[in-house]
Amino acid sequence: MMDQMLLGLIVGSAVSIGAYSVLIGDNPISKITENLYMGILGGYILATNWDFINKNAFTRIQGGQYIYVLAIILSLMLFTRLKREWIWVSRYPVALTVGVGLGLAMRATVITDFLGQIKATILPLNSINNLIMLIGTVTTTAYFLFTREYKGTYKYINQTGRLFLLVAFGVAYGQTVSFRYELVIGRLVDMLRPEVAMYTYAFIFIVAIVLAIGYLTKKITWYS
Amino acid sequence: MSERLIKLKIPIYLTTILGILMIIEFYFPMPEPITNINVTLRSFVTIVSAAGLILGIIILTIAHLRKISKKESGWYYSIIYLVGLVITSALGLTSVRNTTFLWIYNNMTAPIGVALYSLTAFYITSAAYRVFRARNWNAAVLLVCAFIVFMMLIPVGAVIFPPVVPIGEWLRSYPSSAGFRGMIIGVSLGIIGLGVRVYTGRQKEHMGIREERMEAS
Amino acid sequence: MSMIKKLLDLDQRIIYLFLFLLLAFPILHPVILPMAVQDYSRQAFEFADSIPEGSIVLIEGGIAAATYPQCGPGMVANIYHMLTKGVKIVCFSIGAEQQVWTQKAIDTALKKLPPGVPAENGVNWVNLGYIPGGESAVAAFANDIRSVVSKDYFGTPIDEIPLMKDVNDATAFAAVFWWGGSEGSIPYGIRQFYGPFGIPISGSCTTNEVPNYSPYISAGQLKGLFGGVRGSAEYEYLLRLPGPALGQAMATNFGGLYWLTLVILGNIFYFLQRRGES
Repeated sequence: MMDQMLLGLIVGSAVSIGAYSVLIGDNPISKITENLYMGILGGYILATNWDFINKNAFTRIQGGQYIYVLAIILSLMLFTRLKREWIWVSRYPVALTVGVGLGLAMRATVITDFLGQIKATILPLNSINNLIMLIGTVTTTAYFLFTREYKGTYKYINQTGRLFLLVAFGVAYGQTVSFRYELVIGRLVDMLRPEVAMYTYAFIFIVAIVLAIGYLTKKITWYS
Repeated sequence: MSERLIKLKIPIYLTTILGILMIIEFYFPMPEPITNINVTLRSFVTIVSAAGLILGIIILTIAHLRKISKKESGWYYSIIYLVGLVITSALGLTSVRNTTFLWIYNNMTAPIGVALYSLTAFYITSAAYRVFRARNWNAAVLLVCAFIVFMMLIPVGAVIFPPVVPIGEWLRSYPSSAGFRGMIIGVSLGIIGLGVRVYTGRQKEHMGIREERMEAS
Repeated sequence: MSMIKKLLDLDQRIIYLFLFLLLAFPILHPVILPMAVQDYSRQAFEFADSIPEGSIVLIEGGIAAATYPQCGPGMVANIYHMLTKGVKIVCFSIGAEQQVWTQKAIDTALKKLPPGVPAENGVNWVNLGYIPGGESAVAAFANDIRSVVSKDYFGTPIDEIPLMKDVNDATAFAAVFWWGGSEGSIPYGIRQFYGPFGIPISGSCTTNEVPNYSPYISAGQLKGLFGGVRGSAEYEYLLRLPGPALGQAMATNFGGLYWLTLVILGNIFYFLQRRGES
């Protein structure tokens, strides 16, 4: 079991370096890695979703809940999208998914996202923070009124809304940078474990040699 | 006319009826048969969604097969895609808890996925140096807020400049929160508007109507 | 001025190389510094700590391969926290990939449990696996679990699981913990559990998503939030549970200082160049 784990870490390190090699420029190693990723992920998605359909449709039909035959028929109707003349058949399962999905989103968004957020904005004006929340929410919402001319009082409301949006985007950007670094660190933690580190350095060396040969023999063209 | 009814009108009516069923169930007490129908419909959606994901993989595979058969540029990479797909799906279809299947996923897909996802860290860093400028007041506001919040998030930020923590938390909790609240309200209005447009039949893109118009012309 | 132009036109691969080295260094030579606990994390911890013994909580495992290094340790801490408090947990995922990582988090938490803590599959915890359909699946689950789940992650029929005997819908849960990773799915939990049923909800997301959910926190719809690796490190710290998140949080220091330096330098060179041109 330990050997399998170590082998897994080493393989993980190799494919990670293949993926990171795209930073030097588009090259065959990164393309191989990306296509391998797509293939394996595609197989995984296929298998797990088939397993779900098996567990929740076929098993129920075998248990006597024959209404689920309709679910299988609707699922098969979806596959008519592969033939242009029969695309109209796939509109029925799409109608089910869109109708139900949109209805579920609409009914809940009114309570939580619309009324809930407005209710939370109605605050006593006894502190600067409450005032900021009220002004910020109102002006930002008003910013999205694109059918009004930016004149008079509305121009200042619009500019204030934009200021609050910029603050929000700035905060989001700062958080995003941190998140991206955390991703790299997460990968490096596995690649630089004591038992794996030497293999990581070896793979980096091999990739560097391959890319250097490709560049010198003009078989790989990089951006400059 | 009846062809139009079956191919277009009935799916639109179905979308509307199903949507209204979901909405009124939430706000008004419904008789048990209606509630049972709704439960079944929601269950159907999960099964059809799973089938939709499988369909997506099939369409991608067809695109790669087409690339190989026409020997388009980079067709040999598509062979790698097919090999990965066939091996993984063959193992997974026998059992999703097959050890080799899970080993391949955990030790190949997962690391590549993380690595690809994390590439933006490098692009963001390069952009911070080459593009992120306080050219005007608007850009300056964005830059200063990003700077303060990021400094708050790194542990050493509080050591270098302790006030950055309360300032950053205040920025995140009040002005930024107000900005995002406005966006959430706007998005929820958008969802409601989209729902009304779809249920009244004014928006038909989810039915692929653009394809029909192209065929007609 | 041409020197400044050369510096501004620096090949980005050099920037990438330095970033790589600066992020790798603290992993090879860990540096631990004091760390303040963020307000959102403290709120989320206090909420989790207030759940009474004997309750059942729902955990949505939305962490995938890419986000497991940051949010995974926090989810492990959450599962550990609940089981050691005598709270039972029901897990599910709305992503195919995510169900594997949910089970991984459960397995890791089980290994860390002190002896004597009850942690039997089907009695104290259950992983119901993957349910496709996004928010529709969450709504279906909240209203009638058995309409979308017939077997758990291991293939055991739901009616044979003792923990699920009286658990039929959202009303059975005292709280919901939404470990959404980068799914962007916390609003599904708020809309389908908190809105209709009033079930309090807390959770975690990646660092970049924290501002998106701050309106929900200030509205009281979300009880705090653990954001990214820092949030996970804070949960481990508050729980006194040693884990990998703290080391990773410390590693962000070097990369962070590099980014801050580049922003400052880039702007200084830009303004110098503009002054030179004018």
